[in-house]
Amino acid sequence: MRSLKVISLLLDYPSEELFEVRKDLIEEIRADAALPDEQRAPLIEFIDQLCTTDLLDAQDNYVGLFDRGRSLSLLLFEHVHGESRDRGQAMVDLMAVYEDNGFQIDAKELPDYIPMFLEYQSTRSALEIKQSLADISHILALLETRLKQRESIYSVLCSALIDISGVEVAREELAAKVATEAADDTPEALDKVWEEEMVRFTEPTTQDCGNDAVTQRRRELDKVQPLYISDAVKHFTPTGPSSS
Amino acid sequence: MSHLLDRLRFLKKKQSTFANGHGETVKESREWEDGYRQRWQHDKIVRSTHGVNCTGSCSWKIYVKNGLITWETQQTDYPRTRPDLPNHEPRGCPRGASYSWYIYSANRLKYPTVRKRLIKLWREARTTKDPVDAWASIVEDSAKATSYKSMRGQGGFVRSTWDEVNEIIAAANTYTIKEYGPDRVIGFSPIPAMSMVSYAAGARYLSLIGGVCLSFYDWYCDLPPASPMTWGEQTDVPESADWYNSNYIIAWGSNVPQTRTPDAHFFTEVRYKGTKTVSITPDYAEVAKLCDQWLSPKQGTDAALAMAFGHVILKEFHVDNPSAYFTEYCRDYTDMPFLVQLDQREDGSYAAGRFIRASDFDGNMGQDNNPKWKTVAYDEATDSYVVPNGSIGFRWGEKGKWNIEQKEGLEGRSTTLKMSLLDSHDEIASVGFPYFGGVENEYFTHNTFTDIIHHNLPAKRVKLADGSESLLVTVYDLMMANYGIDRGLGGDFVATSYDDNAPYTPAWQEQITGVDRKVAIQIAREFADTANKTKGRSMIIVGAGMNHWYHMDMNYRGLMNMLIMCGCVGQSGGGWAHYVGQEKLRPQTGWTPLAFGLDWQRPPRHMNGTSFFYNHSSQWRYEKLDVTEILSPLADKSKWTGSLIDYNVRAERMGWLPSAPQLDCNPLHITKAAEAAGKTAQEYTVDQLKSGAMNFACEDPDNPKNFPRNMFIWRSNLLGSSGKGHEYLLKYLLGTNHGLMNKDLGEDGIKKPEDVVWHDKGAEGKVDLLVTLDFRMSTTCLYSDIVLPTATWYEKDDLNTSDMHPFIHPLSAATDPAWEARSDWDIYKGIAEKFSEVCVGHLGVEQDLVTIPMQHDSPGELAQPLGVMDWKKGECDPVPGISMPNLVVVERDYPNTYRRFSSIGPLLESAGNGGKGIGWDTKDEVKFLKELNWTHTEEGIHKGRAKLDTAIDACEMILSLAPETNGQVAIKAWAALGEITGLEHTHLARPKADEKIRFRDVQAQPRKIISSPTWSGLEDEHVSYNACYTNVHELIPWRTVTGRQQFYQDHEWMRDFGEGFVSYRPPINTKSVAPLMNKKPNGNPEIALNFITPHQKWGIHSTYSDNLLMLTLSRGGPIIWMSEGDATTTGIEDNDWVEVFNANGAIACRVVVSQRVPDGMTMMYHAQERIVNVPGAETTGTRGGIHNSCTRVCPKPTHMIGGYAQQSYGFNYYGTVGSNRDEFVIVRKMKNIDWLDGEDNDYTQEAAK
Repeated sequence: MRSLKVISLLLDYPSEELFEVRKDLIEEIRADAALPDEQRAPLIEFIDQLCTTDLLDAQDNYVGLFDRGRSLSLLLFEHVHGESRDRGQAMVDLMAVYEDNGFQIDAKELPDYIPMFLEYQSTRSALEIKQSLADISHILALLETRLKQRESIYSVLCSALIDISGVEVAREELAAKVATEAADDTPEALDKVWEEEMVRFTEPTTQDCGNDAVTQRRRELDKVQPLYISDAVKHFTPTGPSSS
Repeated sequence: MSHLLDRLRFLKKKQSTFANGHGETVKESREWEDGYRQRWQHDKIVRSTHGVNCTGSCSWKIYVKNGLITWETQQTDYPRTRPDLPNHEPRGCPRGASYSWYIYSANRLKYPTVRKRLIKLWREARTTKDPVDAWASIVEDSAKATSYKSMRGQGGFVRSTWDEVNEIIAAANTYTIKEYGPDRVIGFSPIPAMSMVSYAAGARYLSLIGGVCLSFYDWYCDLPPASPMTWGEQTDVPESADWYNSNYIIAWGSNVPQTRTPDAHFFTEVRYKGTKTVSITPDYAEVAKLCDQWLSPKQGTDAALAMAFGHVILKEFHVDNPSAYFTEYCRDYTDMPFLVQLDQREDGSYAAGRFIRASDFDGNMGQDNNPKWKTVAYDEATDSYVVPNGSIGFRWGEKGKWNIEQKEGLEGRSTTLKMSLLDSHDEIASVGFPYFGGVENEYFTHNTFTDIIHHNLPAKRVKLADGSESLLVTVYDLMMANYGIDRGLGGDFVATSYDDNAPYTPAWQEQITGVDRKVAIQIAREFADTANKTKGRSMIIVGAGMNHWYHMDMNYRGLMNMLIMCGCVGQSGGGWAHYVGQEKLRPQTGWTPLAFGLDWQRPPRHMNGTSFFYNHSSQWRYEKLDVTEILSPLADKSKWTGSLIDYNVRAERMGWLPSAPQLDCNPLHITKAAEAAGKTAQEYTVDQLKSGAMNFACEDPDNPKNFPRNMFIWRSNLLGSSGKGHEYLLKYLLGTNHGLMNKDLGEDGIKKPEDVVWHDKGAEGKVDLLVTLDFRMSTTCLYSDIVLPTATWYEKDDLNTSDMHPFIHPLSAATDPAWEARSDWDIYKGIAEKFSEVCVGHLGVEQDLVTIPMQHDSPGELAQPLGVMDWKKGECDPVPGISMPNLVVVERDYPNTYRRFSSIGPLLESAGNGGKGIGWDTKDEVKFLKELNWTHTEEGIHKGRAKLDTAIDACEMILSLAPETNGQVAIKAWAALGEITGLEHTHLARPKADEKIRFRDVQAQPRKIISSPTWSGLEDEHVSYNACYTNVHELIPWRTVTGRQQFYQDHEWMRDFGEGFVSYRPPINTKSVAPLMNKKPNGNPEIALNFITPHQKWGIHSTYSDNLLMLTLSRGGPIIWMSEGDATTTGIEDNDWVEVFNANGAIACRVVVSQRVPDGMTMMYHAQERIVNVPGAETTGTRGGIHNSCTRVCPKPTHMIGGYAQQSYGFNYYGTVGSNRDEFVIVRKMKNIDWLDGEDNDYTQEAAK
């Protein structure tokens, strides 16, 4: 699916080379029959807008969005595993998926870098693409909402990907959910989650043994359905050993 | 019968349960376990550690799977210790265990990044101009320059390529060198021991081009100047294992479990042997929980407690019932028997003057070599004055007598030096001592007596060579008087018992510190009694918190004196365990040639960090501490005029402290002008300085020709962690948004400095290019123009050593650096390569005039023996190396910088190698390196020279050249020292003569190093490493005036600033609270609290403090701690948002209200990143700053002394220090929480109740 290749390029750091092939990009979007029709116009508009901006401004904007902090990280597992040790293994598993299907990583990037993931997907069957994107649709929805919040045109790319995955209902639901927890992305909200509660001797607190209120609160923050690596493995390597 | 049929005969039923039914055996699929098995599978394990200025230097296993780093666990294969000693491991802590998070974190720097406005200007200029001209066209156009400087710290970065950023850096360096001079290119990188090759990479590049390396140990205020003063040694301390040999440990301001986590086990294990542990901390710190007793003096008054301890020890163990061990120790190893001249005062009383010297007596007492530097004592056996061996005069110009055998230095007769003149004095003299305990400070209790206290002392009268007469007293007698101990001769305020409130009694200290006198007496007795019975096995572990006060030397000398008077220093299980940063670069002498390019050119250009930042970030413009506030009441006040910056300027002019930028002209131009004038560069410079045509750069720091133009920061978070006077750095060095609320001397109408040109508006944005290397987006990166992504500690090859254990440890590249990151070695190699191209046509082979202060451990330390004279004031002539800095011309070969960088130069073969005053031949090692690293084969200056291509090549250079890692070199070094001492020392290294440690060896297992004369302890199978061990057991002199541990400091400035001897001095008044108290109200009550910044539990400096795992364990953002009492007064509740501010700047943070904290102080852990969870401060309107936002450096003149034996400059050895604990802040509850992010999360906090 060539559109995925186009979106992969668009989600990568803007370059002169990219700007030069603006027309080709638009052509690909027009020509890709697999792309839902209603996504064509916004994507083309995005391409036009991006590729006609001053390159340095586009790059500054990109660095400000994606190279700073984790809320808009383009690394899938940053959103799933964060700083947990499972992340290393998850990347190893994903790399194995690429290799099992005849690809080697040829860039100084991590395997879960979304543009790389999309480039790989662009070589897969329509069914597989749908499933893969569906698996990460929660992350895409999160990114989409956060980008919209920052009034960034990049949200269009996420919208398109969610649409391709076909997870329509989920998309809206998740977007709504994410919107309600939007404030949790701010420093103030993060701080609230990590704040230490005062010990009270007369009423139950989160510090009591066996009380999972802390876990509960953190789960509330983490409304996006986690993408468990076992699921990913199961999906990406249908012939591999079942992990259940 | 049927029983037989029913019963099983040959079989039994399968037993499915066991252990009385508690266990059960089942047979089902165990496939699910594969998940766990896979989870822990890996391709390889690599040994590395964390280069984070943490003394842990812990060994970690880094797991790699398919080229990705997956996790780390602690290594457990340290070499075993001795049978009677616990092993070192496990080493490591939760901070280290969370490190792999950084590698693929969203915070990781992935690409070379440049400020957008700068790159735009650059690319435009580059279309028509060569790189150097392009750079000139930007920085010399003030509108263009301001356009990007003013954006520093406010985002706006784009990615670039290595080629492009290297070209910008090379062009900026070339232009700056050509136009302003190489001494305007500055580099700051701290603590080489944490990754010494990475440090060396930048230092080597800078040194080759004539740039400046700033010192850091003094800037961090980890340097205790008391150590150079007393021992002539920067810092040398016992390894943590030696705690286990101790019988009494006081942890004084050192929070061992929190800041020495992997070593703390020795501290608890030793208690099982019956050792008593005592903690002395103002707050209930974690260490207090591990101790048998907790003393809680008011913060900043520790010296008063130490004086009382000393009072008890001297009275009971030296006077009333003298300990034979202590007496012998003090006679052999301290300056106690040495004689001091008394200076007569107008009122007929006396003050302690300088040590009497051989030169004061007829015929120099037969000592013709350096008689002005040979101190004198009285020999009991012969009843005569003698010049004992080992004073500093014996160190230079002659051989064989610089040792501390009990012999006199003429014929080698044995001596018994007289400690006290009580039984053989000629007369009694009334000697005045300065008393500071009555100095008033609003927030501290004073204990008023007269400001001069007289004691009657036994003295000898002598006739001197010049015909005059003089009274002499011993340091022993002076010491007793100084501690307020009466010997029956009387004086002012003589104490008759410990319960008298007379200076320095236990009762006296109680009023100041709040510590019960009975407890003070008890601890002093126990401490000394233990030392007496065990021959010195009492130890004091001291943390930098004690060193961060303006009068830190009083705290430190107070406790060092206790150790010395009890014979603990240099003994196993005893002594001074000062633990601060990872200061111990064990293979130091192997490393210095690599780091400072000494294989190609000498000397390198160095600058002391504190004086640099004080001067060039204009902190001096706000100096409110008047010199008269810190002078001794015995000093002639008319001699001491001007502001503190004047003292630093004088110190630079007199060759005491270094200068960079050095003079007000380009040092490359000086040599050309000299040639044109037909003079040598030295003659020309002296003439120009004398006529006033040329001046020091420090005399006019606001003049654009004196700006530090280019700055490199690597391995450091200067602006997020260590930059005292943070807001001053932002305003003046960077020219960007800041939160400074102070008024300068002009606005305040205060007297201006005398020796510095005053401009009404201080220059802003002095730095044209700020380049930072880091692996994460730190605060410093946010303020930089170019940010270069470095390899993490799991992605590079390097070496790491610590003072806490004797092993040398690798950092190893488990994988290649992720994304575009490169190791520091490769980054600077790349810059050097590009620089060598870009400079062609602008710079060639140039002669660079370098100014060098009189160096410690060189003959220069004998420059100014008897008094202080300033040539600028016409008191003497400017003579390089004597009354002003040395002037040395160094040849720079700019187009060959890269070739020099990547090969080992010829000077090691022709001039040898060495350190700390010892030199040796190193041809064999260089030959070996040629074979090991191979040689360059291309044509050029590097042909046939050993290669330095990779970081491993560089490691091998260090390991081969250093005595600590090459047994043959160790033998050479000990033999070289033996020539000077006249004693045989090589036996210390013989057992390890053939040991040679390679990089791959330390990767296989951490290796214990070899004993070397660079250090004063031994790496031995029988004793743990302990400082000054070789002084005591090998009779090697301390590197001081007398060659002994010095209680007395006789330099004129020391005496006039009242610190000849130790005493208690209350904190200074920084005057930063009064101008703002209740001046910018928000309706909530305000309180002034002492601002204390100890080290934290959830980070090492700023590293890890932005890591979510550690934030989770902490409170998730910046916090201060305050007491319940102060919280109640101000209506503040736990977890409220508060603002912490003073004239220097403001911090916005949450508050932890805790019983742990005493009233009157607040603690903010050093150093929490500004990038995490910080709202705007109400007073400044900008985002709340870091802990250093409320600080400003205030230097101390006694730290500027130079050219005087142990008080001579050495890089990170001596110099001004950045103290900050005397600072007060205003704390109040915030009203408006404004995140300054426009995301509508701002709110108003409920008013204080």
